[in-house]
Amino acid sequence: MTHPLLPLELQIVAGATLVAFFAWVVYLVRLQRLSLRESLLWLVSTGVVLVFVLYPRLLEQLARAIAVQVPSNALFALAILYLAINVLSLTIALSNALVRARRLGQECALLRAELEAVRARVDKLSPR
Amino acid sequence: MRALAIVPAYNEAGNIRRVLEELRREVPGWDVCVVDDGSTDGTGSIAREQGALVLRLPFNLGIGGAVQTGYLFARQHGYDVAAQIDADGQHDPRFLAGALEIVSSGGADFVVGSRYLEAGGFRSTVVRRAGSRYLSWFLRVRCGARVTDPTSGFRVAGRRAIALFAANYPSDYPEPEAIALAIRAGLAVREIPVAMRTRQHGRSSIGAGRTLYYLIKVSLALLLLPADRRRHAEITG
Repeated sequence: MTHPLLPLELQIVAGATLVAFFAWVVYLVRLQRLSLRESLLWLVSTGVVLVFVLYPRLLEQLARAIAVQVPSNALFALAILYLAINVLSLTIALSNALVRARRLGQECALLRAELEAVRARVDKLSPR
Repeated sequence: MRALAIVPAYNEAGNIRRVLEELRREVPGWDVCVVDDGSTDGTGSIAREQGALVLRLPFNLGIGGAVQTGYLFARQHGYDVAAQIDADGQHDPRFLAGALEIVSSGGADFVVGSRYLEAGGFRSTVVRRAGSRYLSWFLRVRCGARVTDPTSGFRVAGRRAIALFAANYPSDYPEPEAIALAIRAGLAVREIPVAMRTRQHGRSSIGAGRTLYYLIKVSLALLLLPADRRRHAEITG
Protein backbone atom coordinates (compact mmCIF):
# COMPACT_ATOMS: atom_id res chain seq x y z
CA MET A 1 0.00 0.00 0.00
CA THR A 2 3.01 2.34 0.31
CA HIS A 3 3.44 4.72 -2.55
CA PRO A 4 6.18 7.14 -3.70
CA LEU A 5 3.70 10.00 -3.31
CA LEU A 6 3.19 9.34 0.37
CA PRO A 7 5.87 7.71 2.58
CA LEU A 8 4.53 5.37 5.24
CA GLU A 9 5.53 7.67 8.12
CA LEU A 10 3.66 10.58 6.63
CA GLN A 11 0.71 8.35 5.90
CA ILE A 12 0.56 7.29 9.56
CA VAL A 13 0.86 10.86 10.88
CA ALA A 14 -1.78 12.17 8.44
CA GLY A 15 -4.11 9.26 9.11
CA ALA A 16 -3.79 9.66 12.87
CA THR A 17 -4.43 13.40 12.64
CA LEU A 18 -7.56 12.86 10.58
CA VAL A 19 -8.84 10.11 12.87
CA ALA A 20 -8.24 12.39 15.86
CA PHE A 21 -10.11 15.23 14.13
CA PHE A 22 -12.97 12.90 13.25
CA ALA A 23 -13.12 11.67 16.83
CA TRP A 24 -13.12 15.26 18.11
CA VAL A 25 -16.12 16.14 15.94
CA VAL A 26 -17.97 13.00 17.06
CA TYR A 27 -17.14 13.87 20.67
CA LEU A 28 -18.55 17.39 20.22
CA VAL A 29 -21.74 15.96 18.74
CA ARG A 30 -22.11 13.46 21.60
CA LEU A 31 -21.67 16.24 24.15
CA GLN A 32 -24.28 18.23 22.16
CA ARG A 33 -21.90 21.13 21.69
CA LEU A 34 -22.22 20.68 17.92
CA SER A 35 -25.45 19.65 16.24
CA LEU A 36 -25.33 16.56 14.06
CA ARG A 37 -26.68 18.61 11.16
CA GLU A 38 -23.81 21.12 11.29
CA SER A 39 -21.26 18.35 11.85
CA LEU A 40 -22.13 16.32 8.75
CA LEU A 41 -20.04 18.37 6.32
CA TRP A 42 -17.01 18.10 8.60
CA LEU A 43 -17.44 14.36 9.07
CA VAL A 44 -17.90 13.71 5.36
CA SER A 45 -14.96 15.89 4.30
CA THR A 46 -12.67 14.32 6.93
CA GLY A 47 -13.74 10.86 5.82
CA VAL A 48 -13.00 11.64 2.16
CA VAL A 49 -9.51 12.93 2.94
CA LEU A 50 -8.89 9.86 5.08
CA VAL A 51 -9.73 7.64 2.09
CA PHE A 52 -7.15 9.56 0.00
CA VAL A 53 -4.53 9.08 2.72
CA LEU A 54 -5.16 5.35 2.81
CA TYR A 55 -5.21 5.00 -0.99
CA PRO A 56 -2.95 7.73 -2.46
CA ARG A 57 -3.33 6.15 -5.89
CA LEU A 58 -6.91 7.41 -5.93
CA LEU A 59 -5.61 10.96 -5.67
CA GLU A 60 -3.34 10.40 -8.64
CA GLN A 61 -6.23 9.12 -10.70
CA LEU A 62 -8.41 12.01 -9.61
CA ALA A 63 -5.70 14.54 -10.54
CA ARG A 64 -5.34 12.95 -13.94
CA ALA A 65 -9.12 12.99 -14.43
CA ILE A 66 -9.32 16.75 -13.88
CA ALA A 67 -6.05 17.38 -15.76
CA VAL A 68 -3.98 18.60 -12.82
CA GLN A 69 -0.31 17.69 -13.30
CA VAL A 70 0.83 17.48 -9.68
CA PRO A 71 -1.54 15.37 -7.53
CA SER A 72 -0.86 17.42 -4.41
CA ASN A 73 -2.14 20.51 -6.21
CA ALA A 74 -5.40 18.73 -6.91
CA LEU A 75 -5.55 18.00 -3.19
CA PHE A 76 -4.97 21.66 -2.30
CA ALA A 77 -7.64 22.80 -4.73
CA LEU A 78 -10.14 20.32 -3.35
CA ALA A 79 -9.25 21.22 0.23
CA ILE A 80 -9.87 24.91 -0.47
CA LEU A 81 -13.18 24.05 -2.09
CA TYR A 82 -14.17 21.98 0.94
CA LEU A 83 -13.33 24.81 3.28
CA ALA A 84 -15.25 27.28 1.16
CA ILE A 85 -18.32 25.05 1.22
CA ASN A 86 -17.99 24.60 4.96
CA VAL A 87 -17.69 28.33 5.54
CA LEU A 88 -20.68 29.05 3.29
CA SER A 89 -22.80 26.55 5.16
CA LEU A 90 -21.70 28.25 8.36
CA THR A 91 -22.72 31.65 7.02
CA ILE A 92 -26.11 30.25 6.05
CA ALA A 93 -26.57 28.89 9.56
CA LEU A 94 -25.52 32.27 10.96
CA SER A 95 -28.02 34.14 8.76
CA ASN A 96 -30.78 31.85 9.97
CA ALA A 97 -29.76 32.37 13.55
CA LEU A 98 -29.75 36.18 13.06
CA VAL A 99 -33.26 36.17 11.60
CA ARG A 100 -34.43 34.14 14.57
CA ALA A 101 -32.63 36.38 17.06
CA ARG A 102 -34.30 39.42 15.49
CA ARG A 103 -37.75 37.87 15.77
CA LEU A 104 -37.04 36.77 19.35
CA GLY A 105 -35.98 40.30 20.32
CA GLN A 106 -39.17 41.73 18.79
CA GLU A 107 -41.31 39.10 20.48
CA CYS A 108 -39.57 39.93 23.75
CA ALA A 109 -40.34 43.65 23.39
CA LEU A 110 -44.00 42.98 22.60
CA LEU A 111 -44.38 40.56 25.52
CA ARG A 112 -42.70 42.98 27.92
CA ALA A 113 -45.16 45.71 26.93
CA GLU A 114 -48.08 43.32 27.32
CA LEU A 115 -46.82 42.16 30.71
CA GLU A 116 -46.59 45.77 31.89
CA ALA A 117 -50.14 46.48 30.68
CA VAL A 118 -51.53 43.38 32.39
CA ARG A 119 -49.62 44.15 35.58
CA ALA A 120 -50.98 47.70 35.62
CA ARG A 121 -54.51 46.36 35.24
CA VAL A 122 -54.05 43.79 37.99
CA ASP A 123 -52.62 46.44 40.32
CA LYS A 124 -55.66 48.60 39.68
CA LEU A 125 -58.00 45.73 40.56
CA SER A 126 -56.23 44.74 43.75
CA PRO A 127 -53.91 47.48 45.00
CA ARG A 128 -51.05 46.09 47.01
CA MET B 1 -60.40 54.34 12.77
CA ARG B 2 -57.52 53.49 15.13
CA ALA B 3 -54.19 55.04 14.26
CA LEU B 4 -50.74 54.34 15.70
CA ALA B 5 -47.58 56.41 15.39
CA ILE B 6 -44.47 54.20 15.44
CA VAL B 7 -41.38 56.10 16.62
CA PRO B 8 -38.22 54.00 16.28
CA ALA B 9 -35.60 55.52 18.59
CA TYR B 10 -31.96 54.73 19.21
CA ASN B 11 -30.22 57.07 21.67
CA GLU B 12 -32.47 60.04 20.97
CA ALA B 13 -32.76 61.33 24.54
CA GLY B 14 -32.18 64.89 23.30
CA ASN B 15 -35.00 64.80 20.74
CA ILE B 16 -37.64 62.31 21.85
CA ARG B 17 -39.49 64.59 24.31
CA ARG B 18 -40.13 67.26 21.71
CA VAL B 19 -41.20 64.72 19.10
CA LEU B 20 -43.73 63.17 21.50
CA GLU B 21 -45.05 66.57 22.60
CA GLU B 22 -45.55 67.53 19.00
CA LEU B 23 -47.35 64.28 18.20
CA ARG B 24 -49.70 64.82 21.15
CA ARG B 25 -50.44 68.33 19.95
CA GLU B 26 -50.87 67.65 16.23
CA VAL B 27 -52.58 64.24 16.27
CA PRO B 28 -54.20 63.90 19.71
CA GLY B 29 -56.36 60.95 18.66
CA TRP B 30 -53.39 58.75 17.76
CA ASP B 31 -51.73 56.19 19.97
CA VAL B 32 -47.97 56.55 20.12
CA CYS B 33 -45.58 53.65 20.38
CA VAL B 34 -41.87 54.30 20.81
CA VAL B 35 -39.65 51.38 19.80
CA ASP B 36 -36.56 51.76 21.96
CA ASP B 37 -33.90 50.00 19.90
CA GLY B 38 -31.55 49.16 22.75
CA SER B 39 -30.79 52.78 23.70
CA THR B 40 -28.23 53.39 26.43
CA ASP B 41 -29.11 57.04 27.13
CA GLY B 42 -32.49 56.62 28.78
CA THR B 43 -34.56 57.34 25.67
CA GLY B 44 -37.06 54.69 26.75
CA SER B 45 -37.67 56.09 30.23
CA ILE B 46 -38.14 59.63 28.88
CA ALA B 47 -40.71 58.30 26.41
CA ARG B 48 -42.51 56.43 29.18
CA GLU B 49 -42.63 59.56 31.34
CA GLN B 50 -44.22 61.32 28.39
CA GLY B 51 -47.00 58.75 28.42
CA ALA B 52 -45.98 56.89 25.28
CA LEU B 53 -46.17 53.14 25.08
CA VAL B 54 -42.58 51.88 24.92
CA LEU B 55 -41.52 48.67 23.22
CA ARG B 56 -38.03 48.07 24.53
CA LEU B 57 -35.88 45.79 22.40
CA PRO B 58 -33.33 43.76 24.39
CA PHE B 59 -30.55 44.61 21.93
CA ASN B 60 -30.00 46.95 19.00
CA LEU B 61 -31.73 45.57 15.88
CA GLY B 62 -31.23 48.55 13.59
CA ILE B 63 -33.94 50.67 12.01
CA GLY B 64 -35.53 47.80 10.02
CA GLY B 65 -35.99 45.49 12.99
CA ALA B 66 -37.22 48.36 15.17
CA VAL B 67 -39.81 49.58 12.67
CA GLN B 68 -41.02 46.04 12.14
CA THR B 69 -41.56 45.68 15.89
CA GLY B 70 -43.97 48.61 15.60
CA TYR B 71 -45.79 46.98 12.70
CA LEU B 72 -46.03 43.71 14.66
CA PHE B 73 -47.59 45.67 17.52
CA ALA B 74 -50.00 47.40 15.11
CA ARG B 75 -51.09 44.10 13.61
CA GLN B 76 -51.43 42.42 16.99
CA HIS B 77 -53.68 45.19 18.29
CA GLY B 78 -55.71 45.62 15.13
CA TYR B 79 -54.76 49.18 14.17
CA ASP B 80 -56.20 50.45 10.88
CA VAL B 81 -53.34 52.84 10.18
CA ALA B 82 -49.72 52.90 11.36
CA ALA B 83 -47.28 55.74 10.67
CA GLN B 84 -43.50 55.80 10.96
CA ILE B 85 -42.06 58.99 12.44
CA ASP B 86 -38.35 59.47 13.06
CA ALA B 87 -37.36 60.22 16.66
CA ASP B 88 -34.84 62.90 15.63
CA GLY B 89 -37.47 65.57 15.03
CA GLN B 90 -36.98 65.57 11.25
CA HIS B 91 -40.60 64.83 10.49
CA ASP B 92 -43.48 67.19 11.09
CA PRO B 93 -46.60 65.37 12.37
CA ARG B 94 -48.72 68.09 10.76
CA PHE B 95 -48.63 65.98 7.61
CA LEU B 96 -50.03 62.87 9.28
CA ALA B 97 -53.67 63.96 9.03
CA GLY B 98 -53.55 64.24 5.24
CA ALA B 99 -51.87 60.86 4.88
CA LEU B 100 -54.41 59.28 7.23
CA GLU B 101 -57.18 60.73 5.07
CA ILE B 102 -55.73 59.11 1.93
CA VAL B 103 -55.24 55.70 3.55
CA SER B 104 -58.60 55.60 5.33
CA SER B 105 -60.50 56.62 2.21
CA GLY B 106 -58.85 53.77 0.32
CA GLY B 107 -56.74 56.10 -1.84
CA ALA B 108 -53.57 54.11 -1.08
CA ASP B 109 -52.28 51.28 1.09
CA PHE B 110 -48.97 52.98 1.76
CA VAL B 111 -48.18 56.69 1.74
CA VAL B 112 -44.63 58.05 1.61
CA GLY B 113 -43.86 61.63 2.56
CA SER B 114 -41.60 63.24 -0.05
CA ARG B 115 -39.50 66.35 0.57
CA TYR B 116 -38.99 66.85 -3.16
CA LEU B 117 -42.59 67.23 -4.33
CA GLU B 118 -42.88 70.82 -3.20
CA ALA B 119 -40.39 73.54 -2.51
CA GLY B 120 -39.28 74.39 1.00
CA GLY B 121 -37.89 72.67 4.04
CA PHE B 122 -34.69 70.72 4.54
CA ARG B 123 -33.58 68.87 1.42
CA SER B 124 -30.29 67.29 2.42
CA THR B 125 -26.96 67.60 0.64
CA VAL B 126 -26.37 67.60 -3.12
CA VAL B 127 -24.78 64.15 -2.99
CA ARG B 128 -27.71 62.65 -1.14
CA ARG B 129 -30.20 64.33 -3.44
CA ALA B 130 -28.42 62.74 -6.42
CA GLY B 131 -28.54 59.41 -4.58
CA SER B 132 -32.29 59.79 -4.09
CA ARG B 133 -32.77 60.54 -7.76
CA TYR B 134 -30.77 57.47 -8.73
CA LEU B 135 -32.76 55.26 -6.34
CA SER B 136 -36.11 56.51 -7.57
CA TRP B 137 -34.99 55.84 -11.14
CA PHE B 138 -33.86 52.36 -10.10
CA LEU B 139 -37.16 51.65 -8.33
CA ARG B 140 -39.11 52.73 -11.39
CA VAL B 141 -37.08 50.48 -13.70
CA ARG B 142 -37.06 47.55 -11.31
CA CYS B 143 -40.69 47.45 -10.26
CA GLY B 144 -42.50 50.42 -11.72
CA ALA B 145 -42.61 52.43 -8.50
CA ARG B 146 -43.19 56.15 -8.93
CA VAL B 147 -41.58 57.81 -5.95
CA THR B 148 -39.41 60.90 -5.75
CA ASP B 149 -38.06 60.39 -2.22
CA PRO B 150 -37.37 56.68 -1.75
CA THR B 151 -35.24 57.09 1.40
CA SER B 152 -37.83 59.11 3.27
CA GLY B 153 -38.62 57.63 6.68
CA PHE B 154 -42.00 59.37 6.88
CA ARG B 155 -44.49 56.64 6.02
CA VAL B 156 -48.11 55.82 6.68
CA ALA B 157 -49.39 52.27 6.22
CA GLY B 158 -52.92 50.94 5.93
CA ARG B 159 -54.07 47.51 7.07
CA ARG B 160 -52.67 45.59 4.11
CA ALA B 161 -49.29 47.29 4.39
CA ILE B 162 -49.22 46.67 8.15
CA ALA B 163 -49.79 42.95 7.55
CA LEU B 164 -47.09 42.85 4.87
CA PHE B 165 -44.46 44.67 6.93
CA ALA B 166 -45.25 42.73 10.11
CA ALA B 167 -44.48 39.54 8.20
CA ASN B 168 -41.68 40.80 6.01
CA TYR B 169 -39.54 43.90 6.46
CA PRO B 170 -35.99 44.38 5.14
CA SER B 171 -33.18 44.80 7.66
CA ASP B 172 -30.52 47.43 7.08
CA TYR B 173 -31.22 50.57 5.02
CA PRO B 174 -34.76 49.26 4.52
CA GLU B 175 -36.66 52.28 3.13
CA PRO B 176 -36.35 51.86 -0.67
CA GLU B 177 -36.65 48.09 -0.40
CA ALA B 178 -39.85 48.39 1.64
CA ILE B 179 -41.42 50.41 -1.20
CA ALA B 180 -40.44 47.69 -3.69
CA LEU B 181 -41.87 44.97 -1.43
CA ALA B 182 -45.15 46.87 -1.11
CA ILE B 183 -45.46 47.28 -4.87
CA ARG B 184 -44.66 43.65 -5.55
CA ALA B 185 -47.31 42.62 -3.03
CA GLY B 186 -49.79 44.58 -5.13
CA LEU B 187 -50.25 47.48 -2.69
CA ALA B 188 -51.06 50.98 -3.89
CA VAL B 189 -48.17 53.29 -2.97
CA ARG B 190 -48.58 57.09 -3.08
CA GLU B 191 -46.45 60.07 -2.23
CA ILE B 192 -47.50 63.26 -0.53
CA PRO B 193 -45.43 66.43 -0.21
CA VAL B 194 -43.96 67.02 3.24
CA ALA B 195 -41.43 69.51 4.57
CA MET B 196 -38.59 68.09 6.64
CA ARG B 197 -36.28 69.74 9.17
CA THR B 198 -32.69 69.17 10.10
CA ARG B 199 -32.29 67.10 13.23
CA GLN B 200 -32.11 68.95 16.54
CA HIS B 201 -29.54 66.94 18.51
CA GLY B 202 -26.95 64.31 17.67
CA ARG B 203 -26.04 63.22 14.19
CA SER B 204 -27.56 61.14 11.42
CA SER B 205 -26.78 57.45 11.39
CA ILE B 206 -25.58 57.66 7.78
CA GLY B 207 -22.38 59.69 7.37
CA ALA B 208 -21.23 61.10 4.04
CA GLY B 209 -18.67 58.33 3.49
CA ARG B 210 -21.33 55.68 3.87
CA THR B 211 -23.56 57.05 1.14
CA LEU B 212 -21.78 55.05 -1.54
CA TYR B 213 -22.03 51.82 0.45
CA TYR B 214 -25.68 52.65 1.05
CA LEU B 215 -26.36 53.03 -2.67
CA ILE B 216 -24.57 49.81 -3.61
CA LYS B 217 -26.25 47.81 -0.85
CA VAL B 218 -29.71 49.09 -1.69
CA SER B 219 -29.21 48.56 -5.44
CA LEU B 220 -28.19 44.95 -4.80
CA ALA B 221 -31.13 44.42 -2.47
CA LEU B 222 -33.50 45.75 -5.13
CA LEU B 223 -31.90 43.58 -7.81
CA LEU B 224 -32.12 40.47 -5.67
CA LEU B 225 -35.66 41.03 -4.42
CA PRO B 226 -37.37 37.72 -3.71
CA ALA B 227 -38.86 36.65 -7.00
CA ASP B 228 -41.91 34.96 -5.56
CA ARG B 229 -44.86 37.30 -5.82
CA ARG B 230 -47.34 34.74 -4.54
CA ARG B 231 -45.69 34.47 -1.15
CA HIS B 232 -46.27 38.17 -0.55
CA ALA B 233 -49.79 37.92 -1.90
CA GLU B 234 -50.60 35.20 0.63
CA ILE B 235 -49.28 37.30 3.47
CA THR B 236 -51.39 40.29 2.59
CA GLY B 237 -54.44 38.38 1.35
